[in-house]
Amino acid sequence: MAAARDAGLTPALAADSAAAHDAPSSGFANTGSSVLPQTFDADERGIVAARWLGWRRRALVVLALLGCVGLFTLLRTLSGSPHIDAGWRTNATGQMVLDSAGDANLRAHIGETFVGVVLADGRLLPPEVLLARRSPRWVVDDTLREQQLAHGAAYASALRDGSVMLKFAESAAPVEVRTAVRGYAGLGSVFWLMTALALVFYLTGAVVVLVQPDERNLLFGLTAAAQTTHLLLIGLDTLPGFEFPAQLAPLDLWLRVSCDVVTGAASVHALSVYPRRLPYQGLIAVTSWAVGIGFIATVAFNPVPRLWWWTQGLQLSYFAAGWLLLVWSYRLTPHPMAIVMRRLSLAVLAILLLLTLTVALSQGNADVQRFAAGPGSLIWYVFQASALMLVPFLSRSQQVMREFTLLAGISAVATSLDLLFVAVMPMSQFTSHTLALFLALGLYAGARQWMLNLLMGSNMLTTERMFEGLYRTAREIETSAGDHTEHFARLLGELFEPLELGHTTRSSSSTRVVGDGSTMLVPLPRLPGVADELQPRGSLVLRFARRGRRMFTREDARLTDRVLEQMVRAVAFDRAVEQGRNEERARIAQDLHDDIGARLLTLMYKAQSPEMEDYLRHTLQDLKTLTRGLAASSHLLSHAGAEWKADITQRLDAAHCELDWSFDFDRDINLSVVQWSALTRMLRELINNVIVHARASRVSVSAHYQRGRFVLLVSDDGAGRRPDTWAHGLGLGGIRKRVKLLGGEVHWRENGTRGISCEIRVPELGDRA
Amino acid sequence: MAVKVLIVEDNPVARSFLCRVVRESFSDTLTITEAGDLESARRQINLTGGAQGLHGVDPFRLVLVDLELPDGNGMELLAELSQYPATKIVTTLYSDDDHLFPALQRGADGYLLKEDRFEVLVEELQKIVRGQPPLSPAIARRLLNHFRDSQRGELPDSGFSRPAELVTSRPVPIEKTPDHERLTPRENEVLTYLSKGFTIKEIANLMGIKWFTVNDHIKSIYKKLNVSSRAEAAVLATKQGLV
Repeated sequence: MAAARDAGLTPALAADSAAAHDAPSSGFANTGSSVLPQTFDADERGIVAARWLGWRRRALVVLALLGCVGLFTLLRTLSGSPHIDAGWRTNATGQMVLDSAGDANLRAHIGETFVGVVLADGRLLPPEVLLARRSPRWVVDDTLREQQLAHGAAYASALRDGSVMLKFAESAAPVEVRTAVRGYAGLGSVFWLMTALALVFYLTGAVVVLVQPDERNLLFGLTAAAQTTHLLLIGLDTLPGFEFPAQLAPLDLWLRVSCDVVTGAASVHALSVYPRRLPYQGLIAVTSWAVGIGFIATVAFNPVPRLWWWTQGLQLSYFAAGWLLLVWSYRLTPHPMAIVMRRLSLAVLAILLLLTLTVALSQGNADVQRFAAGPGSLIWYVFQASALMLVPFLSRSQQVMREFTLLAGISAVATSLDLLFVAVMPMSQFTSHTLALFLALGLYAGARQWMLNLLMGSNMLTTERMFEGLYRTAREIETSAGDHTEHFARLLGELFEPLELGHTTRSSSSTRVVGDGSTMLVPLPRLPGVADELQPRGSLVLRFARRGRRMFTREDARLTDRVLEQMVRAVAFDRAVEQGRNEERARIAQDLHDDIGARLLTLMYKAQSPEMEDYLRHTLQDLKTLTRGLAASSHLLSHAGAEWKADITQRLDAAHCELDWSFDFDRDINLSVVQWSALTRMLRELINNVIVHARASRVSVSAHYQRGRFVLLVSDDGAGRRPDTWAHGLGLGGIRKRVKLLGGEVHWRENGTRGISCEIRVPELGDRA
Repeated sequence: MAVKVLIVEDNPVARSFLCRVVRESFSDTLTITEAGDLESARRQINLTGGAQGLHGVDPFRLVLVDLELPDGNGMELLAELSQYPATKIVTTLYSDDDHLFPALQRGADGYLLKEDRFEVLVEELQKIVRGQPPLSPAIARRLLNHFRDSQRGELPDSGFSRPAELVTSRPVPIEKTPDHERLTPRENEVLTYLSKGFTIKEIANLMGIKWFTVNDHIKSIYKKLNVSSRAEAAVLATKQGLV
């Protein structure tokens, strides 16, 4: 008992405290459409949390106590009920043999084959009848069911008289056995297990209802109550021996049918308001309840012909309707919860259908039918109950979902295979169980990934792509100025492919999942080395992951936090690297300039001839261009143009040469260091040629930049002619080399009657190309 | 009486070259004092009445300062000589505004690029002494930015957008900017043309004024830069509790 209580309370309290800190935990708690306002109430909710928690915790304790008291009463009644204290086993031919006995009369017959119970009116109840009497709910044939009920009643009244006559094949006269009190030990291990499960389920229902007592959660509570009752009834089935509590026997069938119908009707009603409130919701709910209550009332007051068929049909229709509602709901609003629940309901529906078909088809075969109606239905009920119980926790953790998926998959496959083997092939039960188990395990191992993907939506994008996105975004943040929110949005968009991606000014300390996994709130991190006014602010709101096919889980929130943390680290690292590189370049430039520059200058002053002096001056200027290029990262075309003009003007002035300058551009671009230094040095070389070799009196320089195309034309009226005959020395070779570097071409031609013109065309001089 | 000239330059070859340039530039009788580092330069200046030039009977009239010296940066000397009644010229290999602009802020009257030809240097030196300091497009841009920052919000936008990479985080002064820190619209216009690579002659044509008027504007800009920088330094010193 204590163990059962502990097992029941632990998850319940965990869920309770989680619910208090976070968004409501219940599966039916939220609609997708009202996610955001509720989310933003979270802070205020924290303030009133203590008050909020107070009465709920007390109510939960009261409900738990009530549950335990009820259970204890049931246990007391059961343990006090009359009972034949005997143990049975099956012999090789499938007959029942007495194995052990508490009664002295009976002990003499240990090892004898049991034939049946002799009633007061002389009728004999064979063991098949006694055993099959259990769960009349799953007896297909109406007359058979009536018989069973009658036999059960007769046996129960015999028990009540205080002694029962048992007949054994080996002895002619029936043995009179006095009934004993069952006692707690006589309840059997399976019964305790089912009771514990029922208690857990009862408490889960109570917690969900208490967290937020609204329509959806009350429906969940109702379903939970129905399932709890049903589990307890199933637990009674598993009591050892033939006895069934006499007090419950007349109600048993009706209770079971009611539980099934109430579960179905409540599910349909709940699905009409969750994940979203559907159109004609009222009509759907009323119809489902009207049908259900009508059916229950009919069963209660008149015998219904073909009861099993009706019940199964109604139950199947309820689940099918629930599935259809979910399909519809997903079409209207792609809430990921709808998809998960749709798959779950499909699994439940399929297993129920399979079970129904097996039971229906095996009507001629008593063995198979007993197996299908007994353990088969037991598995189905446990599966259905645990599926329902897990619904509120589906959005909490991917782990729970994964485990449940595996459980469901394994049991579904094993059961169906087992039923198939037993029904179709002439195999003994043990062989078929073993075979089915192994086949199921094999299938499970093979299809695990596929199943996981199917049930949970496709898995996350590969780690590789994630890293790629991470570093690309880090680089983008590094290179671009301004608001970085869009970069984060893009990264998260690629990561989760949400249907909606928004921004809100509200902020929180860490990423949170709200709205039952439909929405994730990601607070934007502070970036290192970014001015305060440029820091991204607020949070990103991601809704409906994977285009609404996947739920956000806590793992996703944790992953997002890690990703953003790494991202901030990557940005900081990039910045450090970039800064280090700049410092290093500046230092090299400084060293080059100071040391080599000073030496070249000394050499220039000491030059023996003007040619040598010019050569050294030229070298020195190249060095300066180089070091400046190293120190700066980029130059605007307009600034470069202004400097070229000032430089050329000064040099031509000194050489008493006129300059016609024209420079125009349609767009001011950032020249890269390479482009800037190539153009600067080419232009200097060309002007140098004009001054030194051509000794011109007038030079015209025109530069145009139109739609990415750069054209430079330098013409003089000097002495140079026949450019095709020129020896290409260092100067001209350097120009050719640099033009090639820029991806352009250069041509020299005679300029009218005097001089030379040189044209440089660079077809694509783009931004930082 | 001989005109006294001080040349502060550590490279002896360059020093003698600059001596030749100075002698070539002026027809007066010159007394050239050479100094190889900041220390000897200071000693020489003290001999003529100290850095303030108050007691000096016969101070230096022209000082050429190299920026890279063995015992420090020529800027230090320029800062000390801010009140010294001489034409102060920076001689350097660095032609970029990052190096030259601070020198101009510290009161340099002009700059000479050491790798220029002898004739070019002579001409430039004469121009500076006559009051026609050079102003490269890059430095003009820096100047525009400097003054726009200190008078942001007071003048209507001149229509020239500020270059993106020159944005600084200098705080906007709250009180009204004193006159000596503001440029007249004409000066602003001249600076803008200079920053676009126009020569003084071209600017005179464009603005419809005489070239020496353009030159006066440039001189005035130089002076304002010096004064505003000194005022700024004083404010900074007061804030830091140094004065």
